[in-house]
Amino acid sequence: MMKRGKLAALLLISLTVVLGGCKVTTKNEAAEAPANTSTTTNAQQTESTNESAPVDIELLGMSANEADLNIVRDQLAKNGFNVKLNIQADYGSFKSQQDAGNYDIALSSWTTVTGNPDYAVRSLFKTGGDYSILADPEIDKLIDTASTQTPEQYVDTYKQFEQQLVFDKAYIAPLYNSLKAQALNQDVLKKESVRLSKSRSLVWEDIDFKDEAKRGTDSLVLQSTMPTLTSLDPIKGNDGSINMINTNMYVRLLNLTDDDKLTADGSLSYNFAIDAGNSDYYFVLRDDIHFAQIKDKKAVDTGERVGAEDVIFSLNRAKDKNSVPDHRTFTLHEHIKTVEAVTDPAALESAKLASGESVKAALEKGLETPIAGLTADKAKADHQAGTYQVIKLTTTEPFPQVLNYLAHQSAGIVSKKQVERINTYDVATFDVNKDIPYGDQNTVTEGAQYNNTLYASGPYILSHKNDYEAILYKNPAYLKGTSHEPKIENVKIRFIKDADSALSALRSGEIHVFYGVSETKFDVVKGDAKLSLQTLPSNAVSYLLFNMKNRPVAESADLRKAVLYSINQDEILAYYNGNKFKAVSTVSPLVKTGLELASDPAKAKQFLDAFKAANS
Amino acid sequence: MKPKISIEQRRFRLKSAPEYGQASFAWIVSFAASLALLLGGYSPGTGGFAPILLAASCVYLLFALLQLAAWIRIRADLIQFGAIRIQTRALGYGLMLSLLSGNIFIATAAFQLVRTRKNAAYTLAVYTLITTLLVMAVSALHLFKPYVANSFLPGMSLLLAAAIVQLGALLYVAKTADRTALPRSAAFVAAALIVTAATGNLFALMLGLLLLARRRDGGGTAGSRAGQVIDRLSGSTTSMLGLLFVLFLFALSAASYWTFDYSLAIENNYGAILQPPSLAYPLGTDNFGRDLFSRIVFGARISLIVGLLSTIIPVLIGGLLGALSGYYGRQTDNVIMRLLDILYAIPGILLAIAIIAAFGASTVNLIIALSVGAIPTYARTMRANVMLVSTLEYVQAARALGSGDWTILAKHVIPNSLAPMIVKSTLTIGTAVISTSSLSYLGLGVEPHIPEWGNILKLGSAYLETHAYTAIYPGIAIIALVLAFNFLGDGLRDALDPKLD
Repeated sequence: MMKRGKLAALLLISLTVVLGGCKVTTKNEAAEAPANTSTTTNAQQTESTNESAPVDIELLGMSANEADLNIVRDQLAKNGFNVKLNIQADYGSFKSQQDAGNYDIALSSWTTVTGNPDYAVRSLFKTGGDYSILADPEIDKLIDTASTQTPEQYVDTYKQFEQQLVFDKAYIAPLYNSLKAQALNQDVLKKESVRLSKSRSLVWEDIDFKDEAKRGTDSLVLQSTMPTLTSLDPIKGNDGSINMINTNMYVRLLNLTDDDKLTADGSLSYNFAIDAGNSDYYFVLRDDIHFAQIKDKKAVDTGERVGAEDVIFSLNRAKDKNSVPDHRTFTLHEHIKTVEAVTDPAALESAKLASGESVKAALEKGLETPIAGLTADKAKADHQAGTYQVIKLTTTEPFPQVLNYLAHQSAGIVSKKQVERINTYDVATFDVNKDIPYGDQNTVTEGAQYNNTLYASGPYILSHKNDYEAILYKNPAYLKGTSHEPKIENVKIRFIKDADSALSALRSGEIHVFYGVSETKFDVVKGDAKLSLQTLPSNAVSYLLFNMKNRPVAESADLRKAVLYSINQDEILAYYNGNKFKAVSTVSPLVKTGLELASDPAKAKQFLDAFKAANS
Repeated sequence: MKPKISIEQRRFRLKSAPEYGQASFAWIVSFAASLALLLGGYSPGTGGFAPILLAASCVYLLFALLQLAAWIRIRADLIQFGAIRIQTRALGYGLMLSLLSGNIFIATAAFQLVRTRKNAAYTLAVYTLITTLLVMAVSALHLFKPYVANSFLPGMSLLLAAAIVQLGALLYVAKTADRTALPRSAAFVAAALIVTAATGNLFALMLGLLLLARRRDGGGTAGSRAGQVIDRLSGSTTSMLGLLFVLFLFALSAASYWTFDYSLAIENNYGAILQPPSLAYPLGTDNFGRDLFSRIVFGARISLIVGLLSTIIPVLIGGLLGALSGYYGRQTDNVIMRLLDILYAIPGILLAIAIIAAFGASTVNLIIALSVGAIPTYARTMRANVMLVSTLEYVQAARALGSGDWTILAKHVIPNSLAPMIVKSTLTIGTAVISTSSLSYLGLGVEPHIPEWGNILKLGSAYLETHAYTAIYPGIAIIALVLAFNFLGDGLRDALDPKLD
């Protein structure tokens, strides 16, 4: 026993000697000799915490963005802030916290669905804008100036705008620009028929099964997160629950290509033309689209053509705030002054493009028969005989970006006759409990209130839905015989709230397309042979929005700038494995201004010290 | 020449020696661990094995085979002689080397094998030393990192000093504990042990208190009741391993204040995102480049604290209410128990979710939320015990002698009703740990960047397919802690069983 004790003691002593001989670098020693960047940040952290107390800051966000919140928290903590997290479970509670002002910085995101820079700034940053909490005359002036300019001219204006918004006044701190990612089952669908567009929602009519024989029998199964649809009236909603459905249920005067160029392809127009003054816009309409309606849970042709009177009616109600209760999209269309049908061909001859060509010649490009006569009666239009309908849209001021708004789902064409028949209530005294507006989601939800009165001008029409799925049928009279005729008869939208469950549903073959694959799941999708991943830079930008009321960040630009320069976009890109892009403002994905936010801990510290000095 | 013995005799002889059961448990678990390491090191892509894991697997296999050999000899000895021969016991000294490979199963079996006569003090001394050595070994993994915490070296020196003291205590106990009366020097050894308990080693504290108690008894009664309980508990390998794991985690959590760097667990490091396990990152890194090993060790703090507090609070409140209602009966009983019945009707986890949703997520709220729901079950257990105990003769005798109600409750009734409460609480700590992790997993626990096992598991679950280790290790940690508490509770129930008195 004693022998063993001596041996063990000897072992322990020799262990001490060995340990004593080892050279161990402690954290402070490592920080004193900064060899790489990771140790420098440590050094700065210890430095700043040693010098003075951290500044409290409250960061508001949603649990869906937990990763971003953690990155921002980490970066702010390393630059002398004491971050208090306020994480809300869903958008509703996030919004109510934001409205109550319970934050210093809110993690926000914005997607420019129209693909034009004006939309990316107007409602967010202009005084009185839909989502704006700013009131800065200089910013307002730059937004208005840029809106009247052509793409070549506005680059510089938006550069000045970004300089003001981000670097000079630090109203926002940009984080990143996202990819749009979509995964599809390539065993079931023709891979090349599924488009992924920068701004436009998924184009259903192009999608085709690998086995074309299944077009009539099988359903195309898509996914959406929200079973409660805001409204099926295109002007009454602009959110994720209806964007995809309304885009495919109503045709528009124009469409956006996959890279956000304007095109008449697959729209109600054969062609469009812009008058030299940038205030008058002309569209020559197709005559081969009819409205569809649902009868006995089947889509039938109403026999009613989609024509100029419907366009005029739709756009007039889109720009008029008082045309319906809960109008959610009028700000997009406030630049429309008048919409009218042109009946005199001579008017088209006299109007000239910027190139000097006549509008008539421009509209006739690619038409089978040139314009022989114009008619105001949609029933009389006949493209083979050369009788067309032409729409002239005039803006309140020269505003070329109006065309992007016309490609947005809120500019979808509804039936004048049908909407007027349903919306018989008085807007001023509208009673939610009594009056049933056109497009009310209850009228398409299975149950006692079901009474589908929809008239769809687009490729598909919603038949019915419940909390589990929505069923849509092909419009039998939509561009029949053309390449835009819908290929698949039935579309089913499965409502799956959780992204992980949706991905599982895709992998098990339950759904065919899953839009919104998160960056962390790219490897999983790529590793599955039957799936195909499509990605495209999108117009979505994430940024930190500062509270501009009753908080220190509202008064002190120094404090805001300290936050701004604490943000390191390189680290965010590293976290997302390079699947995000740098951004300066919400305009970044649309206009390359050449500005870039570089993280600068020294500047952050300087601004933070200035803030502390001013507040002590 | 084998003497003929019946099967019953054989079975009895094998059962009479706890070393036999410990040895068989040790070689089977070591063999399984060796297999697990082998499988863990296999990569199907290349068809090869990770060299470190392969080596570890070989070492475990070697000791498993040695232990198997020892087991065969123990078996032969028992069948042939009815006792283990001294030569066989000497094998234990060789098997102790397995501690160097971290194989505590064989090591604890070996420490038991070398002693013919065992007692609580010896068992505790062994576990004290093993705990400190394990904490040191785990802390020493930091040497592979680019840098260590500023207090790493003083911390390790402290642990080393504690280990030396504890080794001395082990040798001292091995030499003297069999005597009926402990020499005076025992008090100094006990004091030294209690000082080393400052490193978080509760075994040292228990041993120190046990020695002091025995010294005070002066060899009169054969050891205190605690000594008997530890004796019985040490007979069960699984419950001692459970106790070892719980107290090891506790000691590690305490030592982590010195030897671990919190910034590794909490600060993002974008240069080391999702690194597979390596020497610098023993359990890999998560999607923010944080060291999973550090996160799990720091997470143990929260899991243990929340688990313990959310058990102790309802034990105290529920115990008191149960004792009052059991002792006084009638109206008191009716009022208290009916109110508790209402609380009992609300599902505990839903109540916890509601409390957290209403008051916000924080550690304090988490403890309160988990405590409130558990009060009625403890009150019921305590009430039943108190009702039974209050009818016993000694309580009536105390009453006849004119003792007041509070004196009787505090001196006679409650102490004699505690055993089932202790067992029940040990068994439910596991549930509390799971509840803590579940709530964090649901985003209702502590803030997401704070290392907590449920949080770590939640982040890891998103990478289950691509980087499985981010979810497997926190999962194993939760399972191991809950299992340890359950084993311990099971052993305690047997050890506290009054039928064995």
